[in-house]
Amino acid sequence: MKIPSFRRRAAVVAAVAVSAVLALSGCGGPGGSNAGKTFTVWWFESPDSAMGVASAQVLKDFEAAHPGVKVKFEQKSFDQIQQSGTMILNSSSAPDVLEYAKGSATAGLAAKSGLLTDLTDVASKKGWDKKMAPSVAAVGHYDQRGVLGEGPLYGVPNYGEFVGVYYNKDMFAKYGVKVPTTLAGLESAMDAFVAKGVTPLTMSGAEYGANHLWYELALSQADRSWVDNFQLFKGPVNFNDKAWTFAAQTLVDWGKKGYFSQDSTGIKATDMLNAFTSGTSPMMVSGSWFDGQLKTGVKNFQWGEFQFPGNKLTAGSGGNIWVVPSKSENKDLAYDFINRTLETSNQNLLGNSGGVPVAADPAAVTDTHSRAAATTFKTLAGSDGLAYYPDWPAPGYYDQQVKALQGLLTGALTVKEFNDTISKPYEDYASQLK
Amino acid sequence: MVGLLLVVAIPFVTNIILSFTKWAGIGSPSFIGFDNYIRLLRDGNFWVSFLNSIAMIVSMALVPTAISLLLAALLSDFIGSKFGPRIASFFRAGFYLPQILPVTVVGILWGWILLPSSGVLNSVLDGAGLGALKSNWLGQPSTALAAVMAVMVWFQVGYCLVMFMAGLARTDPSLTEAASLDGATWPQRFFHVIIPQLKPEIYVVLLTTSITALKVFAPIFVLTKGGPGNATTVPSYFAWQNFFSKNQVGYGSTISTVMTILIIILAMIFLKVQSKGQEH
Repeated sequence: MKIPSFRRRAAVVAAVAVSAVLALSGCGGPGGSNAGKTFTVWWFESPDSAMGVASAQVLKDFEAAHPGVKVKFEQKSFDQIQQSGTMILNSSSAPDVLEYAKGSATAGLAAKSGLLTDLTDVASKKGWDKKMAPSVAAVGHYDQRGVLGEGPLYGVPNYGEFVGVYYNKDMFAKYGVKVPTTLAGLESAMDAFVAKGVTPLTMSGAEYGANHLWYELALSQADRSWVDNFQLFKGPVNFNDKAWTFAAQTLVDWGKKGYFSQDSTGIKATDMLNAFTSGTSPMMVSGSWFDGQLKTGVKNFQWGEFQFPGNKLTAGSGGNIWVVPSKSENKDLAYDFINRTLETSNQNLLGNSGGVPVAADPAAVTDTHSRAAATTFKTLAGSDGLAYYPDWPAPGYYDQQVKALQGLLTGALTVKEFNDTISKPYEDYASQLK
Repeated sequence: MVGLLLVVAIPFVTNIILSFTKWAGIGSPSFIGFDNYIRLLRDGNFWVSFLNSIAMIVSMALVPTAISLLLAALLSDFIGSKFGPRIASFFRAGFYLPQILPVTVVGILWGWILLPSSGVLNSVLDGAGLGALKSNWLGQPSTALAAVMAVMVWFQVGYCLVMFMAGLARTDPSLTEAASLDGATWPQRFFHVIIPQLKPEIYVVLLTTSITALKVFAPIFVLTKGGPGNATTVPSYFAWQNFFSKNQVGYGSTISTVMTILIIILAMIFLKVQSKGQEH
């Protein structure tokens, strides 16, 4: 993270000039009180991802703005933060600002244990709350039980993500299939492919592909209060209700009709993506985190994305969040860092690098796919259509859902048994919250 | 001594203490007596993982021991004498290779081999005209455990083989020669001369591999994460899941404590049987 020396010198000169002016006018300058401090930043986005590119730029700008501060960056992995985040935050080696895994089981646990700084006042002072739609900011709010969605703001997302249907335009044209707008239309489209001997959906049942498809199907029969009850524990949840039963039953039926391969339960997410990018599958139900890889990976055909047909609600949320550990000794610098991640220029860079920005100027996002994704996300966030992810409510829920879905798809579990299996970890955790 | 205290004794005692508490890994643990143990006895998932442990003992201790005994006898008795010690060493090294590969590499490698659509195994079956035998090996409960067991056999054979070959190098070759002069067939020699001579090694190998089987974690983690359903869950993975993904440290400690007690009991039984066997 070295800045070319001439730029650094220019920055120093500028900072000195600014400090001098501020000193004359009687204000404390940014270079003054922080000089000689060490500021530590961690994140786990890979360097080539949109978020990695945007964060690296923030770090560069931050260093230029605080020439007296020694900036230390450490690349982490998602699993490190997911599994030992609280232990790190509780130790003396916590950084000043870091990217943290969103969700009740991770950030919620850290927040309720008093390990994170309450950012509510800073957010309103710096206008962050104006930049993010409430349903995007939800991933940063945790109540005293550690449940997401309400309570003080502990973290700030600077990107978004949502699940939709990726489709191969060339294959749709070749087989004369139109983009469906209803669930029945989607089934007819898939029938048309099956009739031609083409498996319409690439689907990963060994990882999150099946979770998302199942949740989209449940959301097709659900409304906001259903989501709030399930995700935010606002009311009773019946796992044998219409929505959950429809989702499980439809998934089984789709498997039987050959809409996705019987082998899906042994297929991982990367293999699902490869089947789409290689041009053998007309459709993939997955999330915007694949946009960057699709842009570089798809070589021989045109592709696009449409929302899960007929759904007003879809799996999606604000992204992982920037948090300030309680133990941070440079909180003002940390706030400045977070502030830079939400600046329009950085948001535009994130969008143009293949990410979904939360506060970009859509006109400045030039790539067509990125602009479409940013616009869709804005619409979803504005219409309260982000329904988070099915594994969020309880710790360790993701693994249990993957395994139960494998059981459902291989016929080891009936729909009723599956619904009961899914309900158990949820009820266990809900009873602990009371 | 200090090292033993730091690395073994203190964590061991801490783990036992934690098993009587409810703790999320942060904040202060609350004492709940035997609640975790009662919960464990009623937890269907634990019993499934325990039964899978028995499958792991079969595939990591019993089967590899039997296969390795046969291989060791063949390599030293037959290959060694017919083709020279170099070829025998080459085979021994080949069988030992899985033991030195990093487990993550093993996981990725076997993941590719067992992939349903474009996996090596299914492609080979197709090519051999055995398309009917193709399967979604790791993706369905009916075959996942068997597939993992097969990988574990492949993984363990090398270790047992090296132990037995070392044992055979210790034994007196004149015994087998005398037996063959007396007209004993190869199976007779194998069962009545070679196996009795290798008794001490067999005890050691069975004990160490059984303990390894009860503790197995990494191969399960990289191959199936305990799925599909609970088809391949083992106690270590179950404990890890509670520790790290469910933040139920107290309950995770309980599972670890119970497994430790079981392993100690198993080791004691083995040592008893072994000393009895040696008295005979």
